[in-house]
Amino acid sequence: MQNPVLARLLTLTAAVASLGAWQSAPHQSAQRQPPTLTPHDSALHALNRLAYGPRPGEVDAVAAGGVMNWIDRQLSPDQLDDRLVAERTVKFRILRYDSGDLARLYAAARKERRERQQGGQVEQMGRQLAGEVEQLAVVRAALSRRQLYEVMVDFWANHFNVFFGKGADRVLAPSYIEETLRPRAFGKFADLLIATARSPAMLFYLDNWESVAPGSTPPALTRPRLHARSWFGRGRYEPGFSREPAQADSQRRRALERMPKGINENYARELLELHTLGVDGGYTQQDVVEVARIFTGWSIKRPQQGGGFEFHDWAHDYGEKTVLGVRFSAGHGMDEGVRLLKLLASLPATMHHVSRKLCQRLVNDEPPDGCVDDAVAAWERSSGDMREVVRAIVRGPDFWAPENIRAKVKTPLEFVVSAVRAVGGDPDTTPRLAQVVARLGQPLYRHVAPDGYPEREAAWVNSGALLDRMNVAVALAAGRLPGVTVALDSLALATADAEQLMAAVNDGILGGTMSDNTRRVIREQLAEAPDPVAARALAVGLALGGPEFQRR
Amino acid sequence: MSISRRVFIRSGGLALFSFGLDPLFLARAALASYRPLPPTAALSRPVLVCLFQRGAVDGLNMVVPHGESLYYGERPRIAVPASDVVDLDGHFGLHPQLAALKPLWDNKSLGVIHAVGSPDSTRSHFDAQDYMESGTPGVKSTADGWLNRYCRHDREHEDTPFRAVAFGPQLPRILAGSAPSLAIDDLQAFGLRAPQGAARDRLTRAFEQLYAGSATGLLSSSSQEAFEAVQLLQRANPAQYRPANDAEYPRGRLGRSLQQIAQLIKGNLGLQVAFADVTGWDTHVNQGASEGQLAARLAELGQGLAAFARDLGDKLRDVVVLTMSEFGRTIRENGNIGTDHGHATAMLVMGGPVNGGRVLGRWPGLDPASRFEGRDLAVTTDFRDLFGEVLARHLGATDLSAVFPGFTPNPVRFPGVIRS
Repeated sequence: MQNPVLARLLTLTAAVASLGAWQSAPHQSAQRQPPTLTPHDSALHALNRLAYGPRPGEVDAVAAGGVMNWIDRQLSPDQLDDRLVAERTVKFRILRYDSGDLARLYAAARKERRERQQGGQVEQMGRQLAGEVEQLAVVRAALSRRQLYEVMVDFWANHFNVFFGKGADRVLAPSYIEETLRPRAFGKFADLLIATARSPAMLFYLDNWESVAPGSTPPALTRPRLHARSWFGRGRYEPGFSREPAQADSQRRRALERMPKGINENYARELLELHTLGVDGGYTQQDVVEVARIFTGWSIKRPQQGGGFEFHDWAHDYGEKTVLGVRFSAGHGMDEGVRLLKLLASLPATMHHVSRKLCQRLVNDEPPDGCVDDAVAAWERSSGDMREVVRAIVRGPDFWAPENIRAKVKTPLEFVVSAVRAVGGDPDTTPRLAQVVARLGQPLYRHVAPDGYPEREAAWVNSGALLDRMNVAVALAAGRLPGVTVALDSLALATADAEQLMAAVNDGILGGTMSDNTRRVIREQLAEAPDPVAARALAVGLALGGPEFQRR
Repeated sequence: MSISRRVFIRSGGLALFSFGLDPLFLARAALASYRPLPPTAALSRPVLVCLFQRGAVDGLNMVVPHGESLYYGERPRIAVPASDVVDLDGHFGLHPQLAALKPLWDNKSLGVIHAVGSPDSTRSHFDAQDYMESGTPGVKSTADGWLNRYCRHDREHEDTPFRAVAFGPQLPRILAGSAPSLAIDDLQAFGLRAPQGAARDRLTRAFEQLYAGSATGLLSSSSQEAFEAVQLLQRANPAQYRPANDAEYPRGRLGRSLQQIAQLIKGNLGLQVAFADVTGWDTHVNQGASEGQLAARLAELGQGLAAFARDLGDKLRDVVVLTMSEFGRTIRENGNIGTDHGHATAMLVMGGPVNGGRVLGRWPGLDPASRFEGRDLAVTTDFRDLFGEVLARHLGATDLSAVFPGFTPNPVRFPGVIRS
């Protein structure tokens, strides 16, 4: 019997040979027809899936240079000059503050509010900084030349979702994106998994920082007056205990009352269900409990003050545990958590679950089995190198199969960013464009549940959101969308010549996919718009808000 | 066609049973196919309005146990004096700023349920709101909200574009899910926006034609819904709306939301479930007593509800308004003349079908021995029993276990807020 992986590799070679930029010798495949994509169409498809849509002229440029060359360069983002984004991001003040700075800033803002200084300076700055986190993601997606890298960062931000609105996560979240996720977006899955497990943002979001072995008590609470420190800032502050003994005792008693009393399973459950094995990954409730025991003591040094990771050995359960039939012998501390994460990262269920989600993002809401198999095979070969997994998906025949072209509906982020890119738009540093994304239903980093934003069209397509998309399209085309300047001239010069406008819009915005119906409707509308500037805005607005542009 | 378990769970066994293994958009399209309601049906369509008091309202100062001396002992600076309370039954009384609701209490269309809350012990706003909206306390991974699950499972009622509407910029968690639901920030701005009416109509027609001719799948069915909604609303003409019976809504977000809900109800647009947020209840500092911070929020709530009832007039007989909040606040006041995160709270139920004029639920008392974790008002009614009763007895829901997975609602435990 034929080796299925080999057969698919052969198919794929045949498939990409026709793209005009593939160096290997072509082979024929009996199983699948090679795609009939022209270099133009394959460039458009790649830009729709591995980037946030083409900027004016980009489809032709990618087609001319060879789409597989472009993909290879995207897979090595460090080699791509990204000066434009670097120059833009230095304007974001949020990148200059660490979690501690942010904590102090927000504390000052709260104080200001308490003292009823409405619209005080500090509070205003706090709000601006919070908005900058979201806007930064939109700006990078719109302007970066490392498009595939930005797509991957967004994928991981959802896979390892943290809701930035939960208490201290407002302070802890910026470093989560910048220091935990971004450096590892194209790395080994195990490294990413360990980094998220240790991140204060995740520890706070899924409550693991409060998970303690039953009966354990921090040393400061059992040894009076030894050292004035508190361990769990459950109120607003952890000022430490008073120097006055009677008051210190009462503070200690209150702190003890508020102490977490046992294990918290939240992180353990989501780690298995969402981050690694998947809901059908074959674990039991007992496994969840054992995993939670392993992570007891993984905590945060004063979350309300933006502190970093801290392992509390007093809170750790040093007993024996068994997870998925694997024994973790007694007497181990933090090391057993790392061992468990490495184990989870290497299990077939994890490879399958995460690969499937990647295929869902890059190929189809209902990913073909073959695509997932390719990704899993690459995962095994490369010990979970995400760059190789993505490479395998993109080189697989399913990625280029006709039934998967334009099969995905854009998320609000993808819609807004691709529209901005299509009109040569340049977003500013105010959070206004991110607010547009939020209004369309996808406030970035503010998905409450740990499953992250879904990759299924049903989550995004509803009547209210569709009308909003049309309004955004019309406003953007007219240059009226706040927070972004558009360069329509790079797309089409203003003219009252309807045929010329439609050709430019079809080519520049719809990649040549304009349907007869769309052509007819736009032509009818243009007949009533004699002014060249208004006519161009109308044609662009209808194209961006119409059904073709909602797909990628 | 492979269908993941998550999708299966989300779309529900019933949906798959009814639609075979059709893609979700077909299910949605079928769910959403709109037929104009016959006038008689429209008249008797029951409506549920949910108001979420985000930030955890102090139930003990909203509905005051003035007959209990411990209440005054624990709150020397923030207790509402018995002389100020609007007495209800000799033991409980409304905060004086809720006085506008007293006539509704007297005519039995306002009820209170006290000591209601979540079985989960969390004191995190985030987690507790999440649980109250997902309807699954303690389970974080539930993808959809209980109001959406109700809409999906209850097929007795026809879907119209305005069946489930949340007032605000984004769809809240409670309405997230696969049943179509709308988030509307402003009824007048719903639809295509253009400087003049003629330009707007032309733009609307253009997009309608674009989608009618070129859209496929879910894009097609949803856009159809969208343009139907625009048309329906245009006929109802929200810009011309004037509240009836000289009802005066308070200024601010709540008043605006309630007025727009009344518009949708009176316009017979098929509204069944409405949702709005009321913020500003997290009173850690300087909460106030008869006057002050909390009093101002309660005044807005009371005036809003009273205006809504007045505006609806006879229509109130089909409507139930339910307030909810993620948890209550500490029995004892804190060092900042406020209250911290507690456990049980009070919820208000208003409307024609309400078994009003009484405080329902078992009152656990403020005695330290009966407190939750020794400090907070104990929960004696699981919020799912309250929500479940309203869904079953008011909206006619038949399958509550699908709406609250992992929970078996039992009519014996229903607090009795709906008149039988």
